Amino acid sequence: MHALSRVRPSEILKATGIDKTFDRTRALQGATLELRAGEVHGLLGANGAGKSTLSKVISGHVIPDRGEVVFKGQALRVASTRDALEAGIAIVMQETSLAPDLSVLENIFLPELGRPGRLSRGRLRQRARELLARLGHEHMLPLDQEVRDLSAAQRQLVEISKALALNTDLIIFDEPTASLSPSEVERLFEIMDRLRQDGHALVFVSHRLEEVFAITDRVTIMREGRTVAASLDTASLSQSDLVRHMVGQDLGSIYARTAEAREPDRGRSGEFLLAVEGLSAPPHVVDVSFGVRGGEILGLGGLVGAGRSEAAEAIFGLRPRARGTITLSGRPIAPRSPAEAIAHGIGFIPEDRRTQNIVPDLSVKENLLLAHLGAYRGFGHGYRKREAAAARLMERLGLPADRLLDTNMLTFSGGMQQKVIIARWLLLEPAVLILDEPTKGVDIGTRSSIYAILREVASQGVAVVLISSDFEELLGLADRIVVLSDGRSIADLPSALLDEVKLTLLAAPRTSMARNTALLDAISADHSGAAFWVLIDSDELICLNLVEAAGSPSPGLRTGEAMRIAETRISRALMERQDGFVAETDVPLSTVLVPMRNPRGHDFGWIGLTVDSRMSIPSARLIRTRVEALMSAD
Amino acid sequence: MTTNDLVSSDAREPPGGSAPRRASWARRILGRLEVRMALLALLIAIALSLLSPYFLTRTNIFNILDQSVVVGIVAVGMTFVILTGGIDLSVGSVAGLCGIVLGLSLQHLPIPLAIPCAIAAGGFIGLVSGCLIAYFGLAAFVVTLGMMAIARSLSYIFSGQTAISNIPSDLSNIVYTSILGIPSNVAFLLVLYALAFAYLTYTKGGRTIYAIGSNKEAARAAGLSVLFYSTLPYVISGALSAVAVTFSIAQLLSADPLMGNMLELDAIAAVVIGGASLYGGRGSIVGTLIGVLIMVMIRNGLNLMGVSPFWQGSAIGAIIILALLVERLVSVRAKR
Repeated sequence: MHALSRVRPSEILKATGIDKTFDRTRALQGATLELRAGEVHGLLGANGAGKSTLSKVISGHVIPDRGEVVFKGQALRVASTRDALEAGIAIVMQETSLAPDLSVLENIFLPELGRPGRLSRGRLRQRARELLARLGHEHMLPLDQEVRDLSAAQRQLVEISKALALNTDLIIFDEPTASLSPSEVERLFEIMDRLRQDGHALVFVSHRLEEVFAITDRVTIMREGRTVAASLDTASLSQSDLVRHMVGQDLGSIYARTAEAREPDRGRSGEFLLAVEGLSAPPHVVDVSFGVRGGEILGLGGLVGAGRSEAAEAIFGLRPRARGTITLSGRPIAPRSPAEAIAHGIGFIPEDRRTQNIVPDLSVKENLLLAHLGAYRGFGHGYRKREAAAARLMERLGLPADRLLDTNMLTFSGGMQQKVIIARWLLLEPAVLILDEPTKGVDIGTRSSIYAILREVASQGVAVVLISSDFEELLGLADRIVVLSDGRSIADLPSALLDEVKLTLLAAPRTSMARNTALLDAISADHSGAAFWVLIDSDELICLNLVEAAGSPSPGLRTGEAMRIAETRISRALMERQDGFVAETDVPLSTVLVPMRNPRGHDFGWIGLTVDSRMSIPSARLIRTRVEALMSAD
Repeated sequence: MTTNDLVSSDAREPPGGSAPRRASWARRILGRLEVRMALLALLIAIALSLLSPYFLTRTNIFNILDQSVVVGIVAVGMTFVILTGGIDLSVGSVAGLCGIVLGLSLQHLPIPLAIPCAIAAGGFIGLVSGCLIAYFGLAAFVVTLGMMAIARSLSYIFSGQTAISNIPSDLSNIVYTSILGIPSNVAFLLVLYALAFAYLTYTKGGRTIYAIGSNKEAARAAGLSVLFYSTLPYVISGALSAVAVTFSIAQLLSADPLMGNMLELDAIAAVVIGGASLYGGRGSIVGTLIGVLIMVMIRNGLNLMGVSPFWQGSAIGAIIILALLVERLVSVRAKR
């Protein structure tokens, strides 16, 4: 796919025999890495495998105990990040290393502040524009804006620009996609592709295997501080090969679920344990409704910024609600604070582990019992009574009980921390458990055990609400998915009916569907019929958008819902999908369907128009021309 | 994720577009804390001029500026320190000690040599504090608290517990010489603020100080001299404390070991009223100037109205807390 990099492989960096010991843990034991100019090199491994440490050794953040790094034919001796930067090596970190109070421009040229000579803002501004143009994003970043106001994706762009500003030959991306939405990831990959073509060597550290296949040319896999597979061609590998190397054993399907759980009708019956109606908490949550049953895992899907976390916070009493009702087991509740929500039996695990969930200076045990502290009424801390339960839980989660007293939570890997947090809430025996991005920054091995825990929790009758930007995870784990976009819940579908493409279309911001809606409006009004946009999959369909003119006949579709074609009033037209209008046999309706394909041949489903067959039937060619005009407008 | 071709990704900007942006220019200007605080200062000035006919006279305005000099000079150094996320509690005591150093030096040295001696002493104390904080990672609050006690104690010891009153009267020239119709101490203050503003806004060193306060790890990773620029603000703060007390002594022609008592509180209050964050990274020298003026105007107005000095502390404290409370409420609403 990227033959360019293999035409003239020129080795740019070779690290051999790198050892590093922190306190007692041996983070690296004879690690090796070899990179070429013009390649994207995946660096993989479970959490704690040492890939971050190796990245930091190369970028000068960590000084190794032993080992040799040869960069561009010379032994590289870096005593500081400064040395690495001067040599031409930069790192784009997981937690961004930007100064939030400085402007975009100043952050891009932050290293310039440490160099001799005068500061010429005009020249820097010029250079910043050139850099962003090289990345194809010259209009995306206002140079004078303070970085604190930027989105995660924009911050990352600043970081990449910062690396490029130093004329670096090697850029390490440490989990760059962790906080990006799918379209932002796509854009990042475009940038990485450009950099690769410019001859930069890129290291891509990630947990997400599908991304590794999408962008890397070669991969190096680490386990327990050692390089277990060096510089394999990505094209020669399968997903299970990668997992085997990373974990050291076969894992099976990580979303192990029973066939019965896959039934699309599952979760369509029974009372809702938690029901949310018309929830509004401006500005991010506009109109959100969903319900979740006991024993069910409900996924909240959507792009970053769609208002999913904010909706969860509003339910949990962390955010004032303007409108809407919350019903728990049939009783309306209105928690004004987390304490009240917990008292009602709602548990919430926010997204940001470090800042919202962990008290790093307390022991694991105290972290575990923290939520209990709020719920327990009594003068002492009452830890004793809960200790037995805590120990049982730890065992179930595969956490070694002897580490309960470990003084510092931060010595645990991200996955372990997440397990402790989940355990904390399980100790309170909640009726509803809401998790916001529970596997963000968690390696694949720990992920599958978190999935198993969630499934077990649900099977005990808890209603689980899972917020995730990882569509694959949502589809694999949730029984049903409610899609949010621009603060509104717009679809409620069994996950068995969905795939990543459909989810992406559903999750698209409503604002960007404006052109589509305008087209439907126009067609519907011109021909006094019902215009719609549907995805069709064998005998089922999902209606993405529907505009009905006043007095027009109804095709029997509902926006945001999946249905069997036989359930609609236009089943014949939907089954046949012919070029012209198709009349139904049982109702006086005629329908034309036009496929939506963009110039590159991607399929976006069908645009349809249903009219009363007793009226004059418009020209099918005309409709087709209008749809094609929309698609070629890009 | 090829499906994104259809859902044009540019539409990810928050809905609204350019129309509300144009309408909110007023909000954007008001969004700047300095502007809001300047309006507050104006409001206070108007209120005081209504309460006291004497407030807006030329003499009193020069009075206010004159009273701003000492706390204003110290507040500049404090701004540097607070921008890095530190704090300097020792400025008042250092001013007292440097006053004694100046008084003693003047017994043996001519004025142009004695003043640099005092400033060097202040800078040296700042250097010690700064090194302890930057290189050894001690908490700024504790180090400068200790330094505050040491400096005050030394000023009593060096002075023999009494004021040094035989100061050569020529020293008062640094205050009363007129430069373009402006008293020299006020002129010095204005030049100092202009220099500090230029340094913090336009130079690499100034921006490094902001970067350190905003994200120290980022500054370190970018290869900035974090240690040097974390120390420098304390040196500046110490040296400026000495400069401030020099102007004070020039007016009183006496050096008292108690000089500068509680000066640190006025200076910190002025910087914080001016919009600086005690966590570092946020704040500006213009804001500090406004903060100083607000502090001095209130004190001056209370004096004019004949409010008992014992009540003045309560009044000033209440106004500071009230100003920050209103500011917090306003900025929370602005974010909504």
